Amino acid sequence: MKPLDPRLVSRSRAARGFLLSGAALALLQAGAMIAFAWSLTALVTGFIGGASTAASGGALAILLAAASVRALAGWLWEWVGSAGAMRVKSELRDDLLAALERQPRGNRGLTTARAATLLGPGLDALDEYFGRYLPQLVLTVVATPVLVISVWMADWVSGLILVIVLPLIPLFMALIGMATGAVQRRQWQRLESLSKGFLEVVGGLSTLMVFGRAERQVGRIRDVTEAYRASTMKVLRVTFLSGFTLELAGSLSVALVAVSIGLRLVAGDFTLAPGLFVLVLAPEVFLPIRNVGAAFHASTAGLEASRDALDALDQAEGAEVPPSRGADPAGITDAAGLRIRDLRVIRDGAVVLEGLSFDVAPGEFVVVTGDSGSGKSSLLSAILGFADLEGEVTIDGVPVGAATRSNTSWAGQAPQLLAGTIAENVRLGQPDAAASLLEHALRVGGVDLPGHRRLGPSGAGLSGGQAQRVATARAVHRLLAADARLLLLDEPSSALDADRELELGRRLRELAREGRAVLVTTHRPGLAEAADRTVPLSEVARV
Amino acid sequence: MSDRASAVLRHAVPPLRRLLPQVLLGLAAGLSTVALLAASAWLIVRAAEQPPVLYLSLGVVGVRAFALGRAVFRYLERLAGHDAAFQQLAAIRTGVFERLLPIAPDGLAATRRGDLLTRFVGDVDELQSVSLRIVQPVVSAVVVVVVAIAGLAWLAPASALAAAGCLVAGVIVAIVAQQVIAARADRRLAPLRGELQAAVVEHVQALDVLVAFDAAAPGRARIRRLGERLEQAIRRRASAAGITAAAMSAVGGFAAAASMWAAEPLLAGGRIDAPTFAVLCLVPLAIAEVSAALPSAMGFIRVVRTSAERIADAVPDAIPGGVPLPPRAPVELPTGLGAPALRLRGVSARWPHVAGADDSHGGESWGEDSSIAPADLGALDLDIEPGERLLVEGPSGSGKTTLAHVLVRFLEYEGSYRLGGAEVRDLDPIEVRRIVGLVEQRPWLFDEDIRQNLLFARDTASDEELLAVLARVGLKGWVVERGGLGAPVGERGALVSGGQAQRIALARAMLADFPVLVLDEPTASVDPDRADALLRDLLTAAGPDRSVVLISHTGAPRELIDRAISVEPSPSSPVLQYDA
Repeated sequence: MKPLDPRLVSRSRAARGFLLSGAALALLQAGAMIAFAWSLTALVTGFIGGASTAASGGALAILLAAASVRALAGWLWEWVGSAGAMRVKSELRDDLLAALERQPRGNRGLTTARAATLLGPGLDALDEYFGRYLPQLVLTVVATPVLVISVWMADWVSGLILVIVLPLIPLFMALIGMATGAVQRRQWQRLESLSKGFLEVVGGLSTLMVFGRAERQVGRIRDVTEAYRASTMKVLRVTFLSGFTLELAGSLSVALVAVSIGLRLVAGDFTLAPGLFVLVLAPEVFLPIRNVGAAFHASTAGLEASRDALDALDQAEGAEVPPSRGADPAGITDAAGLRIRDLRVIRDGAVVLEGLSFDVAPGEFVVVTGDSGSGKSSLLSAILGFADLEGEVTIDGVPVGAATRSNTSWAGQAPQLLAGTIAENVRLGQPDAAASLLEHALRVGGVDLPGHRRLGPSGAGLSGGQAQRVATARAVHRLLAADARLLLLDEPSSALDADRELELGRRLRELAREGRAVLVTTHRPGLAEAADRTVPLSEVARV
Repeated sequence: MSDRASAVLRHAVPPLRRLLPQVLLGLAAGLSTVALLAASAWLIVRAAEQPPVLYLSLGVVGVRAFALGRAVFRYLERLAGHDAAFQQLAAIRTGVFERLLPIAPDGLAATRRGDLLTRFVGDVDELQSVSLRIVQPVVSAVVVVVVAIAGLAWLAPASALAAAGCLVAGVIVAIVAQQVIAARADRRLAPLRGELQAAVVEHVQALDVLVAFDAAAPGRARIRRLGERLEQAIRRRASAAGITAAAMSAVGGFAAAASMWAAEPLLAGGRIDAPTFAVLCLVPLAIAEVSAALPSAMGFIRVVRTSAERIADAVPDAIPGGVPLPPRAPVELPTGLGAPALRLRGVSARWPHVAGADDSHGGESWGEDSSIAPADLGALDLDIEPGERLLVEGPSGSGKTTLAHVLVRFLEYEGSYRLGGAEVRDLDPIEVRRIVGLVEQRPWLFDEDIRQNLLFARDTASDEELLAVLARVGLKGWVVERGGLGAPVGERGALVSGGQAQRIALARAMLADFPVLVLDEPTASVDPDRADALLRDLLTAAGPDRSVVLISHTGAPRELIDRAISVEPSPSSPVLQYDA
């Protein structure tokens, strides 16, 4: 497994900055440790040799300075790690959001639901990754060799012991991982389902009460938790083995180094000062790699998160909705309004609409009818340029796509309102339009709530019918404020009573009379009666 | 911290007999760490004096034993600690659950709002860190540090005093930095994080609208600005948290220097020998390493205290007003009469005020018909005859769901509600729910297979009976297509559509065979053009003998029902009745 996704380094300026400043900090930290070990050794051997405190002031100053520099480096690590995580996250989020706009409906690999998880909790795994794992990894890569070299220079035997033991750690951990990996994965999967047990009981409490089953859940919770404990402990016994290996390698090599130095000192072929220096430095050599092992979990989560984000980014940037084909510029330049010829829409590999042809001229109010699943929403998606399509769809002669969107206004079947006031929602994209337009749009939409009423996230606080009317008003507002040519409404009357439906039909007729093309889908007869023309989708386009 | 939060925390600490092994093992591991460094320093300096090798053998054995002991004890300590924590988890979960039961479901914010549920359950599970990351490390570290300092004091009291002074100062700085500065920064962070997350989710979910309305770029700019504000706050917090790391890192060096300076006169005066002096100089480094566990344990205290306070808020001591209490001496319900008549006279009800249910949107009100606090029910008169199909209509905010919860005795009521002649207030709520069943607006499906989701309604039912009831709700073909009763429904029913979930819930209710059935907005999560078909299937499946109360704001085909009433928003509560 790679410790760091190379794409992250090549793409993210913040990630490169983090690695560079981290390497510099690691060198600083290694230098401080060596200075600390040297000055401590000099002081202890000096005093044992009979030096006075007065003569040792210089070494003491170095000792305290080295301890302070090390502390400062620790402080800077904290700062560099969390700031780095934040910057990398911001960069990835911004890039991914921009890339998603090319396919606002998402695609099979990257649905909007997945994108939302990826951009929220998904990226948060990078906090630990940058804050804990990568700093220790950089330290291991940069500082550990420096420390080993300085130990070697003081005493090559100790250096050799370290050089032999250090590579054994990753080797043993890999062996443990290989021997137990399959068992562990199986166990983790089981754990995931067990850990949800309590959530299920609390979440389903009202359902359990309806069926008189709530009281007996206490025993069930105890059983599930006990099963959870038993299987978690099975996993942990193995998982902690790698920690044990790290700990053992570290403490045993300190013991090896100390005993070897001691025996050579007794024999008289070694001196005290380098011996003490090595003893102080040896545990520090193992510290970063021990911390890497401890933060291993953070690394897998972080790596997965960055890989997911980068994959999604590659995918989103690679995808581009093809412009409507067959847009033969010679034949259609003068066609005013919406023109559809032999339209075929493919969603997730399946044909959802085929062989559809019709026009909506400026000044016309056309209703598309059809049962659920007959492809009404797919038709509107295609006109908005959000769908993969074959055939010809043009607005005033221009093939649909980003270029025609400024000429189109639309309200989908789901209202999709945003946090903010009703007025802010209605003026989406046109925040500076005249107030009279807002009033007018609210009236056409049939919104009987004040514009300053505040909505929660995703429009929380309105009933389904109210939200739908606000969404209709929003589309009408854009039509008027941006002077768009085409209005598309998807089932605007599904939650309206008969009177309101009639009223909406009348208002839409008025809008059409002003020279705009109006296309509405519905499965109810009320709107169809008000329209100039009805296109029954089920007969034309069913595959 | 409130008393009740402290009580929650006290319940999370395992009993002494389970706590003791891990504390002792942690102690052994910590002491081994200190002893390893002391023995190594002593060995090297003593060896430099070139005594006969025999004199060193004790040191050599000690160094090896402590090295091995440290790793082995640490491993055993982690196992023992996790085992004890998980054993305590069962006690924590059942303890909280038993306190939930009397106020559930309507006195409980977590079951009312889905997004609170995961947090609540996470908070309960967070309490297992109390023993694992707080009690055990603190007790072990404190004892090790005290024993090690006492050891130093035995060799040289002045050294011990000097080293202890440095350690205490360092730990205090570290803890203060963490508790005060980082805690303050954390409080600022949480809302910023929430705001950014909400903005991202909203942006992505409404991306097609934003693109179609040319509003995507401004939305992205807003998210970028939020990200920058969060980054500033994070940087401030990192500066504070860094002080903790820095203090613990510096303290070892300073304590070593202080101990050395205090021991030097003893060495010069010949009162201690060179190996002892080396031990006095180096041991403070190991003590500092052990005491680094203290500030991180303090950090966890902050985390679990927040969880404990939220749990204490979510599970009130007193049962909130509006949640029905079982009567002391419940009246027996006359049995064997099929569906009893329901008679409501002047029934009104309000939802209990629940802490936590409305704390997360910054005091802003989204209006009365927000889904968080369902509307109150005004004085309602209503008769439901045995076998009758009644449609209850009314706009959002008129208290229709409140009525459903009164009927199944989830909510207390004022006025009179009689079931088969008996006042419901005098009946055991569990008995009431044996007669009146509810199919909720968003029925909860357990993350198991279809069979398990049906069986808990009647655990003696055979597979044939289950398939028969699935056939009645129009799901038999779908189940067979899915591979039979063993097909999973997914987490929170993720693998089934809203309409299928309603049908499964109805099948459950039919297995339980409630004489009176309340359907609360069964078509809420169904495409409008499929709603009528679903209602038709549901009402046909319910059979002719059952009374059915259908609650719907979009109405229902009139031929399916016997009578319709309309409730209007409280307090004015004129009830319009008309015959279908």
